[in-house]
Formats: sequence, C-alpha cells, structure tokens
Amino acid sequence: MKRTIPLLITAIGGFALIVAFFIPETEGWGEVAAIWFDILASIAFILGGGNLLKIHLKKISDRPAGWGYSVVTVIAFLITLTIGFLKIGSPPATRQEYFGESFAPLRLSAFPDSQVTRRPGQIPVKADGAPLPASVREQLSQENGQIAFRGWMAPTQKRDLSNFQDELEWQCAVETLFAEAQPPESLSGKVRYDADHGALGFAGIMQESERDALLAMESGPEWQQAVGRLFEQSRAKHIVVATSFPENLSIPESLADAVSVDAQDNTITVTGPLSTSQRDALARQFPIAHPVAGERRRELRGEIEKRGSSFTDAQEKTFEKTLDGTWTPQQLRTVLDGAGKAAEQDKTACEMFAEKTAGVRDIEPTKTVGEDTTLNEAQVALLTRFADDPDASPGQLIDDLKAAGTFTGGQVAALNSFIASIPTVGQRNKDLCFALLRAGPLTQDQRDLLFADDRAQHSWRVTVGELFAAAHVPKYEWSGEYREQGSPFWWMFEYAFKPLTATMFAMLAFYVASAAFRAFRAKNVEASLLLGTAFIILLGQTFAGVLLTSWLPESLSGLRINNLTVYIMSVFNTAGNRAIMIGIALGIASTSLKVLLGVDRSYLGSGDD
Amino acid sequence: MIDIMYDILKNLDRRWIFLLMFLSVGIPILFQLQFPEKPTGLAKAVFKEIENLDEGDRVLLAWDFEPATEGELGPMATAFALHCCKKKVKMYFLSLLPVGPQMIDETISGIVEKDFPDLVYGQDYVNLGYKSGYEGVIKVIITDLRGLYSTDARGTNIDQIPMCQDVESVQDMDLILSVSGSYPGTKEWVQYAATPYPDKVRIVAGCTGVQSPLLYPYIPEQLPGLLGAIKGAAEYEKLVVKKYGGLEPDPIYQEGIRRMGPQLVAHVLMIVLIVVGNIVYFMQRARGERT
Repeated sequence: MKRTIPLLITAIGGFALIVAFFIPETEGWGEVAAIWFDILASIAFILGGGNLLKIHLKKISDRPAGWGYSVVTVIAFLITLTIGFLKIGSPPATRQEYFGESFAPLRLSAFPDSQVTRRPGQIPVKADGAPLPASVREQLSQENGQIAFRGWMAPTQKRDLSNFQDELEWQCAVETLFAEAQPPESLSGKVRYDADHGALGFAGIMQESERDALLAMESGPEWQQAVGRLFEQSRAKHIVVATSFPENLSIPESLADAVSVDAQDNTITVTGPLSTSQRDALARQFPIAHPVAGERRRELRGEIEKRGSSFTDAQEKTFEKTLDGTWTPQQLRTVLDGAGKAAEQDKTACEMFAEKTAGVRDIEPTKTVGEDTTLNEAQVALLTRFADDPDASPGQLIDDLKAAGTFTGGQVAALNSFIASIPTVGQRNKDLCFALLRAGPLTQDQRDLLFADDRAQHSWRVTVGELFAAAHVPKYEWSGEYREQGSPFWWMFEYAFKPLTATMFAMLAFYVASAAFRAFRAKNVEASLLLGTAFIILLGQTFAGVLLTSWLPESLSGLRINNLTVYIMSVFNTAGNRAIMIGIALGIASTSLKVLLGVDRSYLGSGDD
Repeated sequence: MIDIMYDILKNLDRRWIFLLMFLSVGIPILFQLQFPEKPTGLAKAVFKEIENLDEGDRVLLAWDFEPATEGELGPMATAFALHCCKKKVKMYFLSLLPVGPQMIDETISGIVEKDFPDLVYGQDYVNLGYKSGYEGVIKVIITDLRGLYSTDARGTNIDQIPMCQDVESVQDMDLILSVSGSYPGTKEWVQYAATPYPDKVRIVAGCTGVQSPLLYPYIPEQLPGLLGAIKGAAEYEKLVVKKYGGLEPDPIYQEGIRRMGPQLVAHVLMIVLIVVGNIVYFMQRARGERT
C-alpha cells in the first residue's frame, strides 16, 4: 500500500492532465489536478522547512568543519519564520481598521427583537436560484408574508439588496426597508451593527443617556454586556506628552468633549477613539498661506535677506515665481460659484416607481435640486479681503459670507475643501526654502527662519499622531502585512536578505573573470570557435560592438558586431537550443509514460510494499 | 622584458583580477559613464506590443524575479510599469516566486503610487501577490483565475475588486508581461499560457542574460518580443523615455542605460583577460611548459 497509493495518485493525476489537454470537455479535470498540485506544493514548503532544520541540526550535533554556518542558518530561519508568521511589529492594516469607533462582540441572535424591522412584502425568488446577497443573507428573512430585517441596515447592504432584483417596485421596497431599519434618531450615525463581524459598534464617546437608551432595547445578558463594554471603551482616557503646543491652539468644536490640554504638564488627554477627520481637524492648527504681494512680499524678502546674503538673480526670480504661484480670490470665487450651481441628483426608486404607477412613460432617472447660486458683489469683496488679510480665519469668512447673501451647504463644503488644499505658512516657507536652495545658497539662519513654522507644525502633527494611535483600539491586530514598511521583517528583507543575495549574484562577475583568464583557452578548433563567438557576443552586448565596426559600409552591415550578435543568437543559438529542446521533450514524454504506467518507480525511493 | 611580463602573468594572483573587475565596474559608476543605445528588433517588438494596447486594456505583469537578479531585471520592470501607466492600461501584478511580492511592492510604491497618484488601486492596478505551485499556478489560472486567486494580496475578495470582476482567466488579458530571472518564469508562461492558446494569449518578456538564449527558440511565434538582460532593458528604456519621458526624464527611468557603462568596461576587461590568458597559454606551449 505504501507504494501503490502514490503510484495511483501519480497515474490518475498525470492521465487527467493529459486527457484535459487533448479533450476540451475535460478541461475541468486538469484544473482540479493542477489545484491539488498547487496545494501540495505549498505543503512542500513546510516539509522543506522541516528538512532544513533536520539537516542543519544534525550538522550542529555532529560538529563537522563549518558547523557554525549551520547555526547561523538555523537562527536566521527561526527568526525569519517567527517574525513573519507572527507578524511581529507589523501594525494592523489601516484599510481594515475602523477609526473613531469602539466595538463589542454580539451575536445576531442576541440583537434586540424591538429593533427587528418588518414590512409587508415578498423577497423575490430568482429564476436561476441565485441566493440573496451575502451581506444580508443572515439578517433578511420572510416571516408570515412580511420581510423582516434583523439589525440596522447599512448603505452597502441597501445597495446589494437593490441590485438583487432590477425592478422599481422591489427597489422602492428596499428603500423603505432601509429607512425603517435604522437605530432611533438620538443614536443615528453613532451606533451600528455589523452582522458579518458579529459586532456592535459605536462612534465617539457614549453618553449615559445613550447607554440607557441602548440598554432599554433588550434585557438579554449578551446585549447588556455588549452595551456596557462599549460604554467603557468609548470613554477610556489616554494621555500623551507633547513637546510643544501650537501658539493659538484651539480645540475644534467637534472634539470639545474628547480632547483636553494641560499646558502646565505639557500633556494632552483624549477620551474615546478619534476618527481620521477628527485627527485632521486637531492637527490643522496652523494658519494657511494667504497670497503675498506688494509690501508684504518686500517685507518677507527683507526678513530673509537680513539673516544672510542678498538673493542672487536666480533666487530673486525663484522667489517671485514661487510666491506668484499661490491661490487667488478669483480661483476661490470660481470654485464657490461652481459649487453653487443646481445639482443633478438621482431620483429615488420610490419616486420613479410613483411616476411609473402614475403612467409616466419615459422616466428620467435624475432631477435638478435647488437653484443656481452665485456670489454677490459683497461676498466677492469678502473673498478679496480674506485673501489680503493673513490673520483672517476661514470660520469667520463662512459666517460673513452667510451674512452677506445666500451661501449654500455645498458652497460651505467647497470652501472647506479649497481651504484644506491650501498649504500652510510653514509648508509654503519650506517649499520656498527648497526652491531658493536650488537656485543658490542660503545661510543657516535663513534656512532656520524658513523652516521654523514647518518644524513646529511637524512636531504638533507627530503629537496628534501619537494621540490618535493611543486612542485607537485595533479591531484586527493581525490584519497588517508581514512585510509592511518599517516592520522587522521588512528591515530584514531590505537590509539583510536583499543586499546579501545581490552580493552573491554580483560576485559571479569576479569568478567569471578569473575563470576566463585561466581556463578559456583556444586549445583546439572547437574551443577557438567558442572563443570567437564569445568575443562577438561580449562586444555585441555593449556599445563597444557598435563603435568598433560602425565604419563598415552599409553593404557589409551584416558584419557589424551588433548585427553579428543578433545573427548568432537567432540562428546558431536558436537551432542548437531547438534541437536540445526537442530531444528533452521526447525524453520527458517517454520518462513520464514510464512513471505514469508504474514502470519507473525510482521516484518512490527504495523499499518494499 | 617579455620574460618578466610572462612570469608575472603566468603566476598572476586572482586577487589582481578581482581588483581589476572591481575598478572596471566601480569607476564607470563613479563617473556616470554612459553610452548611446540603438534599439534592436526585439526591443522594438516589445515596445510595439505595448504601444498597440488601448486605454483600459488588461495587462498581466508577472514579476518572477528576486533581489539577486534585480540588478539585471529591475530597470526593465520599471520601464514596463512606466509604459503601462502612460498607456493607462489596467495592470494585474502577480508573482510565482516567494520574494516576488516585495518586487511588486517596489514597483507599485516606487513607480505607480509615486509618479501616477491618480491611478486607483482596484480600478487601475491590482496586486494579486504570490501563489505557490510554480507552473501549476499558470496551468490553473489560464482557464480559471478564481480557482487560485480568491483574494488579492491584501486579502480583499477578488469579486469586490472592480477591475477583477469580469476577469475569468488569464485568457482575458490583452497582454502578459513577464519579467523573469529563474524558474518559474518566462519559459513556463510561454509553455503553459501562450502556447496552448495562441489566438488569445500574447506575451512579451524581459529576462536575464543567462536565460535569453534559452528563450530564442520561441521567437517570434510564441514570444514576439524579448528584452535580454540590462542591454535589452537599456534599449527598451530608450524607446519608452523618448516617447514618454519628457524633456527631463527622471533618472529612475534611465537606470538600464546607466548600468550599461560598467557593463561595457567589464566586458572589455573580460576580452582583454581572455586574450592575455591565451597569449600566456601559447607562450607556455611554445616553451614546452606544462599548460
């Protein structure tokens, strides 16, 4: 049996692949055999690792000459395996983390019955028997002529469910179900249930009233425990020591409850997790760069030149060009006018279904929402004033714009987005410094002046980053890549494996040169032919070949070394290799048949049944 | 004088040869020695195959090389990536070697993300990562990609990646770009992907100097274009940079041309060494000494 089973596996696998190659209908057999081969090949890595350990541990045990290398091999192998396998030092994958949220495990069956949404209707049955989308399969059911949804529906679930049946009536029903299957209004946007992960999530800090509202939904112990856990997690405090604080530090309104600063102890405390938008808002403490023109430009130049030498001509041009490249009030006006235009919005399925029921034949899928809003003269003047005043704040500008005329929510968003894209004074000065350095020299004092704001900004961003990391509770500790940049495995690969293997390969050049000098001799005709060919190929692989024979006339261009190289490679080399390949192929065919038919059993090793 | 030279060369310590080789490579690197390149037919064929692609076509980039051969193959991988990004084709990266994913990472972070930030992961490029099984992997994915690749390298379900949703097998690719340094590599892609499906699968490749003679028998029917070693990379780079490099091309896209300088001097040194070695050999024979 010890030999019969491997023989059978080999024969069946081999013949399946042969049959699959010649008969298209049996292509699937080949696929299955190949997939099994791939699975076995991955298992072979484990055997290979075991074998490596066995051989080298034996060497270490026997202590022959050079056993120290075996020690190095075993240690390197174990370290690499441990660090890579356990993902030591690899941070969780950011794309799989949920920042700003706390989670507690909760089975779907423990979800409150009071939060199950039911509405009259029938879940469609697909003609091809396709099941419901995977994202809703567990939560959606048919109960006594009603569609029931257990949990709160997420927008992605709504999309999957809508796409399940391409009919307006069904899509309208899904829209209605989505609107109803939501948490109470006081908790909307804060609490959610993820059935795929079996987890209850809460964004931000949970207030006591919110906890009580959640607890009142269900008296089951699992639910009560999950809510209690979320309450604790969302209110956990974390303290980070800051090296310095920005001059005019102001905590954004959205973080007033979550972040507090103790300037005396140089500490900053955060309650609960921070979302990425909260982190960015907290980091944004530095003034944006307003256009610098006229007197202010002269002042800035004077200030820089005062700390060192005057600008060279090239630096002067660079200085002007860099500062001319900043934003203008006209650009901002164009953006805001664009954002004020009436938007084309998709109609809801229920709107289109209502139109269809009313007998409308050509239903338009979109509708126009709102009216075109352009800035009035007073608002335009505010933009100009904002650009000219380096101390003006974007928040004040929004208030002023609203007071001066119509200013839509879309325009507010566009303004915020525009402001976020403007570099800060620190970033602008840093860019200016690099540009000036490319055009000429700057003294250390001049560089320090231009870098000062950026250094302060960088320091604060690091502090906020630390705070963000401290406040985050990873949901999937192991989700990071083992080779994530900066991880120990990455370091080993970049600074040990990569240079060592490259060095090993590069050393070939030295040995080949030495061998060529000592052994590449024209001992007979065959060796002389080989030598001549080697010369042509070696020269033809570089510009030397072109250079040496470029003087040959066009009629003799075939004798140019670069052309001779191509000729040798494509004629002599190809002919020789094809002959060898055909021979090998015939050998493989006969050997494979012997193996598949069990005539050649040498691959099984020695031993009897 | 001749006798002195003869004695020196006959007993030349190999460490002097090592030193000469070190200098012949080191000095051109130090002085940035560069020479013009004239693209040959094979490099032009590779360039043409990619040029013929339309925006949105699918290209499989099989990065089957490792750090040991990165010196030879890195520049052509970079040039391939640049060309594909400029052509705005959809790029599907994969590797059949265990350390191939790191090579893919380098291309993605060093070229795609750095110089083409508007390209979106999952829509314009995807990293399918490494799968064990050597040519067995090719054998499966040529008819059923999902048979082995149920997720990408990040663990995202392949059905949730927009650019993978309508890809059933490698036969749906418009071109395969294979960069290979060893087994498995271009030879296996030709044998198991291009040869059984000649009407559906087209492949061009870049390989090491050692491998290229073994791939010539497949040219031009099964393998329309081939870049052999750093020379092939330099020729192809010249074509790509000329068309897409702009007035001041980034040096990263001319690495092959840069590496041809040391190669020229090293090759000339090899020829000189062989000639000198043979002179010594014939003098030994003439003097009746044991060779």
